[in-house]
Amino acid sequence: MKHIRLQINGVWRTGWANPGQTLLDFLREELNCTEVKKGCGKGDCGACTVIMNGISIDSCLTLALQAEGAEIITAKGLGTKDNPHPLQEAFIEKGAFQCGFCTPGMILSAKALLDKNPKPNREEIRRGLSGNICRCTGYRKIEEAVASASERSSNQSDDRELKDQ
Amino acid sequence: MEPLKYIGKRIPEIYAWAKVTGEAPFTDDLRLPGLLFGKILRSPHAHARIRSINTSRALELPGVVTVMTGTDTPGIKYVAQISDMYPLAIDKVRYVGDPVAAVAAETEEIAEEALALIEVDYEPLPAVFDPCEALLDGAPLIHEDRINNLVLNMKRDFGNVDEGFAQSDRVFEDQFSTQAVPHCNMEPRSSAAWKNPDGVLQIWTGTQSPYFVRKEVAHVCNLPISSVQVMEVHCGGGFGSRSKYCEDEGVTALLAIRSGRPVRITFTREEEMTTTRIRHPFILRIKTGVKLDGTLMAREMQVIVDKGAYCHYGPAVTGYAAGTAASSYRIPHFRFNGDIVYTNKQAGGPFRGFGAPQAIFAIESQLDEIAEVLGIDPLELRVKNANRSGDLTPCGWAITTCGLEECLEKVSQAINWKERQKGPKEGRYRQGKGLATAIHVSGSNVFPDGEFSAIELKMFIDGRVSVYKGSGDTGTWANTVITQIVAEELQLPMESIRLISMDTETTPQSLGSFASRVAFEDGNAAKMAAAQLKTFLLESAAAALQVSMDALFLQDGMIVYREDPSKTLSYGDSVFRSPRTVGHILTSAYHYVPPTVRLTPKGYANVSAAYAFSAQGAEVVVDTQTGEIQVKRLVVAQDVGKALNPIAVEGQIEGALAQGMGYALTEELIVDRTTGKVITDCLDRIMLPTAMDIPDESIFLVETQDPEGPYGAKGVGEIGLNPTAAAIANAIYDAVGFRPHKLPIKAEEVYFFLHPEKR
Repeated sequence: MKHIRLQINGVWRTGWANPGQTLLDFLREELNCTEVKKGCGKGDCGACTVIMNGISIDSCLTLALQAEGAEIITAKGLGTKDNPHPLQEAFIEKGAFQCGFCTPGMILSAKALLDKNPKPNREEIRRGLSGNICRCTGYRKIEEAVASASERSSNQSDDRELKDQ
Repeated sequence: MEPLKYIGKRIPEIYAWAKVTGEAPFTDDLRLPGLLFGKILRSPHAHARIRSINTSRALELPGVVTVMTGTDTPGIKYVAQISDMYPLAIDKVRYVGDPVAAVAAETEEIAEEALALIEVDYEPLPAVFDPCEALLDGAPLIHEDRINNLVLNMKRDFGNVDEGFAQSDRVFEDQFSTQAVPHCNMEPRSSAAWKNPDGVLQIWTGTQSPYFVRKEVAHVCNLPISSVQVMEVHCGGGFGSRSKYCEDEGVTALLAIRSGRPVRITFTREEEMTTTRIRHPFILRIKTGVKLDGTLMAREMQVIVDKGAYCHYGPAVTGYAAGTAASSYRIPHFRFNGDIVYTNKQAGGPFRGFGAPQAIFAIESQLDEIAEVLGIDPLELRVKNANRSGDLTPCGWAITTCGLEECLEKVSQAINWKERQKGPKEGRYRQGKGLATAIHVSGSNVFPDGEFSAIELKMFIDGRVSVYKGSGDTGTWANTVITQIVAEELQLPMESIRLISMDTETTPQSLGSFASRVAFEDGNAAKMAAAQLKTFLLESAAAALQVSMDALFLQDGMIVYREDPSKTLSYGDSVFRSPRTVGHILTSAYHYVPPTVRLTPKGYANVSAAYAFSAQGAEVVVDTQTGEIQVKRLVVAQDVGKALNPIAVEGQIEGALAQGMGYALTEELIVDRTTGKVITDCLDRIMLPTAMDIPDESIFLVETQDPEGPYGAKGVGEIGLNPTAAAIANAIYDAVGFRPHKLPIKAEEVYFFLHPEKR
């Protein structure tokens, strides 16, 4: 067992991790971050996606020990109900989820995509989401939501630029 | 009539915020004090007798609390349709994955370690994996009480089929087969249970039908039904896999009782893929008689259903395939023979469409063959024989409203059917277009538990309402739609309504979320319960304001006097004053029984109060050099009666199309024919569609306003999947002349058809 320290959604947390424990199991079982979902444990489905030091990863393919000192973002850390993230707003408005099990991972993959490429075309959105499986929606509304969030974000930053001027 | 304010509107899901943050709790997210981790030891053999089980080494492992084998349980089989499975095997194992023993331990790792320490002495028996071989004399007997492994033979005979064939100008006979598919819900099965201090066994499990779970768990634990409580929790996808009960709930409950502590069993993805109830593979022989003008005269269907090791709900699935085959298009005479056959494989169960996609693949593929031979346009042939409002199908389905013709019209226009390129095509990449249709129930009166839904409403003195709904919501937005109905009837904002579902202690019993029934039946129950509550509110306000009830109307939480809108009473005050109010709560409940008839043993009955229809068009491109099939576009026109929430309805259709496309082209549960092990045991091998694979889609909602449906609505959950594979198959034939007789349609088969010399 090793005591590790990492930042989750901007808050420093500590916990005991086994040497062989995945970051996913550590987050869920040790730190109760149950918003990170376990769909397969093999890197096939993307439900456990988190953003670690700015990069989206499958937390089931990462060891907890590798996250020592890391900055982790989960779906819970993206926004608040009063101040939601544009992706959260867009997912809600477009109805881009059904059961909601893949949604936290899907939104984080979308965030990683938009962080790198704020105005992706349709093909880039699809590629960006291709590591996340959804069995309910058929993806169309997810794709629409990501496109809509991308527009929202660019409108918001345009507004900010106007204000700055 | 006032315009609708909540119905028909694109209203967000009621759990939206909890879902986009990941906070909506699924079973594995619950943190119960003193929780033990349960694991199931499963058979490595496809067929074997259990000589003995030694659990002593596992019990000695520190951290192990309980080890349980079949003989430690009450030894009662699940009820199902034919009772043939113990929670843990007692005498024999019948497929690779059959539960043999279970462990509860302080950690998941210890539980896993303990499994490895359980010693089972098996006597391997010959196994049979092919249903046709299983039917032969001398085949290994999987259940000793079933001759030739025949679970049962199902016959249907309506009209006079022989006469129908005699009157036909041409008779067509074809054979088709379909594959096994696991549901692949994103949430792996998980159930948690404990016996609370009052002695009530409480269970949390993502399910479509909590009352089926309660019934089965109470049965195998030998407890009265009233001492089992299924608790509300989110469910990560249903698609039928959680439609009745899953065998893990029984094991979890038994472990919790034995250990005296809360226990949770969460499946690994491999367990989810290899041990849950999958879509049954069918072999279908279909014989259809037609007049030269294309009029369908008679149809005969013979199916062999590969049941796998246990019966579960196989007969219901087979019966529904028969009903679908009798009712797809107008057909005066129909006969069906179904052999449901045990094999040493993972058992089948309900899966979206419930036997219909299998039957429709055969019917619609053959219909295109008929059209070609008779020289009739496939669209014209379908329109000519399409079901129409007022029809009574041979198996007794009474169609009140039918938008099938309009659906066909919309789809054929959208895919430019009439301008499509006919005859042989040229070039490496060849385009093709195909059509298919479906009919589907909105609830189905086939189970002994009865066909009904009940909703209870409680309004409090702050004017807010709680809705108690017995069926689950697996992510279909059913709970949102029910909330919209209550909002509409009571003219109350969605935020003022709280919905409690699937808590068997507090919600009135409903059959469950399957057979495309929730929006229709729970919807009607909710609408009527709310209408009654509205009357109670008006009655109380009329007395308080000293005006007549007719002069009042509801508006956003206020009861308003029409003549003088300054004269008002809040809902809360009305509740407070009502003589019907008990303990500051005004209650209204409604038990809805649809006007249907229970299915008879001969299979004749109007099992549903409304029937939905769908027409689908597929456009594909086939690469003649590789055989690769690409679906370019899917067009759907669906008779939904009335779209209660268009986002939710589109979501159901879009999701169904993706599953239908996977069913057509890639998804297949493959079993090793020597060992009986599932080869496609992870998501990486089952080839589900990803975001990259989704074609262009156009969806048209046809609103026929069904007289019995709430606000005119019909069921929408399943039908979107039913014709998709057939439409794609027909498009492939149109592109390259290859007629798929087998699902999934593989590129190599198309390739070998185009290049027979390479075979």
